[in-house]
Amino acid sequence: MRQKVMILMCSLAAVLLARNLYVILLSLPDEASQGAIYRIIFFHLPSWFTSFTAYFLAGVASILYLVKKNSVYDAFAVSVTEIGTVFTAIGLVTGMIWARVIWGVWWTWDPRLTWAFICWLIYVGYLMLRRAIEDPSARALNAAVLNIFSFTTVIITYKAIDWWRTQHPGPVLSFRTGGGRIESGMESMILWNWLALMLLSAVLVMIRMRQEQARREVDALRREVHAL
Amino acid sequence: MRFLRQSLTIAAKDLRAEVRTKEAINASVSFALVILLLFSFAFDPSGDQIKEMSGGLLWLDFAFAGVLILNRSFARELTNDCLDALLASPVPGAALFLGKCLANLVLLLAVELISLPVFGVFYNVHWATQFWPLMLVVVLATWGLTVVGTMFSAMTVNLRLRELMLPTLIYPMIIPALMAAMQLTTVLLAGQPIGGADMLWLRLLVGFDIIFTALALTLVETVLIG
Amino acid sequence: MDERNFTYMFYGLLAAWLVLAGYVVSLASRERRLRREIDGLRHMIEDREKQS
Repeated sequence: MRQKVMILMCSLAAVLLARNLYVILLSLPDEASQGAIYRIIFFHLPSWFTSFTAYFLAGVASILYLVKKNSVYDAFAVSVTEIGTVFTAIGLVTGMIWARVIWGVWWTWDPRLTWAFICWLIYVGYLMLRRAIEDPSARALNAAVLNIFSFTTVIITYKAIDWWRTQHPGPVLSFRTGGGRIESGMESMILWNWLALMLLSAVLVMIRMRQEQARREVDALRREVHAL
Repeated sequence: MRFLRQSLTIAAKDLRAEVRTKEAINASVSFALVILLLFSFAFDPSGDQIKEMSGGLLWLDFAFAGVLILNRSFARELTNDCLDALLASPVPGAALFLGKCLANLVLLLAVELISLPVFGVFYNVHWATQFWPLMLVVVLATWGLTVVGTMFSAMTVNLRLRELMLPTLIYPMIIPALMAAMQLTTVLLAGQPIGGADMLWLRLLVGFDIIFTALALTLVETVLIG
Repeated sequence: MDERNFTYMFYGLLAAWLVLAGYVVSLASRERRLRREIDGLRHMIEDREKQS
């Protein structure tokens, strides 16, 4: 059953991504000044949305873990955080390539970029801390606390374009600007691609959670071996 | 009230132990001085650019030296299972944490107050012209550093890789406080008062302290006791 | 379509998918390792039970 849902979601994501790629490359109009490179935004923005959603869910799952002490929440938190760091990396890389063309440099120490990088470092630190703790319940507890701490940086990263004057382009989507900054076809394309990436991440999260379950099984078997 | 008294008892205990052995503070002060020395090789120490960089340099110095103290904060309780004894005592986890924070704050401030005049002498900076505003910034930023640092020190205390994990976790997390402190300190060391656009940084610093103190006090019980 | 900067756009998309592919590969290798570990432990338990 679970296998089937995963395959279904995966193929849905694949179809959606293929269709989106076709529309992005061939049917959307050109941007006035940037040339083809602007089309990177259709992956850049959805990646960031995906990673922010992932971090948000990880924060919620961490709080739930601390309240309920159910290891499923811990498994979910680590899975989404890991997917979040992957999409943060994608967001950073696509952003850097865009910056190389438009700004002429790979990186600039602009608040938005800096915070995005800090955010990535902090969540990688979270994953490292998990590896360093051997006792499963202590690992889950400390990781949950760290995850809640980490979420503050996500908020700062998200609001950085409002708080500081940055070189990074301001918000474009209508739910933050009240409309008018972007053509509606482009906006819906960004949202479609976000949906596709979310489907893909959901499948990855499910695989990752199963691995976490397998790891617990390994721990249990190890204890059994010791007992023998 | 009782909570506060318990915290102060813990803080006094930590400070007394530190004053007697001086194991963390000696290492931290000498490390701070070494870093101040190393900075002189990174750029021309007599040039004008030092004026623009002074806040950044100072806070890098404090952050590096501070982690040595924070590292010892909970680790010193590991020998003879002192940490277990403390947790078994009637002192609540939050009070234990607050006490440790206060002790660390005092120790960090001591390191900073030793480093500041040395920095002034080495790099020809008149650091005391805005003394009280500078002290305000120093205390606020140090408190932020201490709260996050003590919390993470509690989280990593039982790890084999403690010395490696603590800095990797702390530095990214305290960047907002460090950033604000660097900006404000640069302004103050140049002899100007805080005002106008710099108020944003002061607000950021206060906000950071409040948010992380509240978060740490609510969550520390789970970290220490589970 | 506007052809300017087309190569960089291509690199950008390629890099995005490479990062994702890298993650999927690491996920798959971890899956294999866990499988192997579980199988190994199961065997070990069976052997010990037979011996005793």
